[in-house]
Amino acid sequence: MAKRAVSRPKTHPATAPHRHGKGRCLRILRALSAFIDDELSEDICQEIRRHIGACPNCEGFVASLRQTVSLCRHSPASALSPTDRALMREQILRAAQAR
Amino acid sequence: MPPRTPKNFDKLYRDHVDLMYRFANRLCGESEAAKDLVQETFLNALRGFKDFRGDAQVSTWLYTIASRACLRMRRRQKGAPERELSLEQFIPTSEGEFRLQIPVDGLSPEEAFQNKELRQALDAAIDKLPKKYKMVLVLRDMEGLSAKEVGTIMGLNERAVKSRLHRARLFVRRELSARGITEAAPSHHHEPFA
Repeated sequence: MAKRAVSRPKTHPATAPHRHGKGRCLRILRALSAFIDDELSEDICQEIRRHIGACPNCEGFVASLRQTVSLCRHSPASALSPTDRALMREQILRAAQAR
Repeated sequence: MPPRTPKNFDKLYRDHVDLMYRFANRLCGESEAAKDLVQETFLNALRGFKDFRGDAQVSTWLYTIASRACLRMRRRQKGAPERELSLEQFIPTSEGEFRLQIPVDGLSPEEAFQNKELRQALDAAIDKLPKKYKMVLVLRDMEGLSAKEVGTIMGLNERAVKSRLHRARLFVRRELSARGITEAAPSHHHEPFA
């Protein structure tokens, strides 16, 4: 499988203070999953990108949400052993007969 | 004497048992409970197989049976009370909450998961999710189903699926941030998000 980077964060020379209001903050927060899933219209995406570009904290937040989703998508899964698979089949069939 | 095999059971089982176990293990977080759930799922599938009309994929039908069985099993267990997640609770209030506690910048997911602490933190975060959010996150982000399929399985419209998924992602993100690691510590109010 091709390797995909969890994120490619941009760097900012200095941390700017975060001064927008809570209403605006919630509006952006509400849209972030749709933003990272590419489900938003271009004008809303641009608004979010503009905001993220001007705010290192928000940029970090979006990057960490992307990273979280990427980790969930690539989280290793447990597998059944052939013995367990066969044993479970027997148990299911026995239970089915018993019911 | 070996048990009698109902018609088509072996193919159904062979083709889907690994898929169902992976799903069950992600939902339950441990192997014995996952095996119980898989057993319950195939038993219910056996009972309902004659009524399955093929309107959905077999896997979607099995996911639906497993999801319902999981909700029934969990109701019988004493667990964390079901609760709603509001967006406001995910607004960071301190500097460390904006980023993940364990840095993964520049790493592929496979490389990031070499870190056992990260794997455990992610598992623990998902395990803490209220079940209706956890189920959506597991189906959508871990099993890779579409929002429409998740809606079919859970009896929700796509908008509700996306809303739950978003809150579930924000919850897991927060658990992986400094706040999740040091939850007991009082929050600081410098450089707030809002």
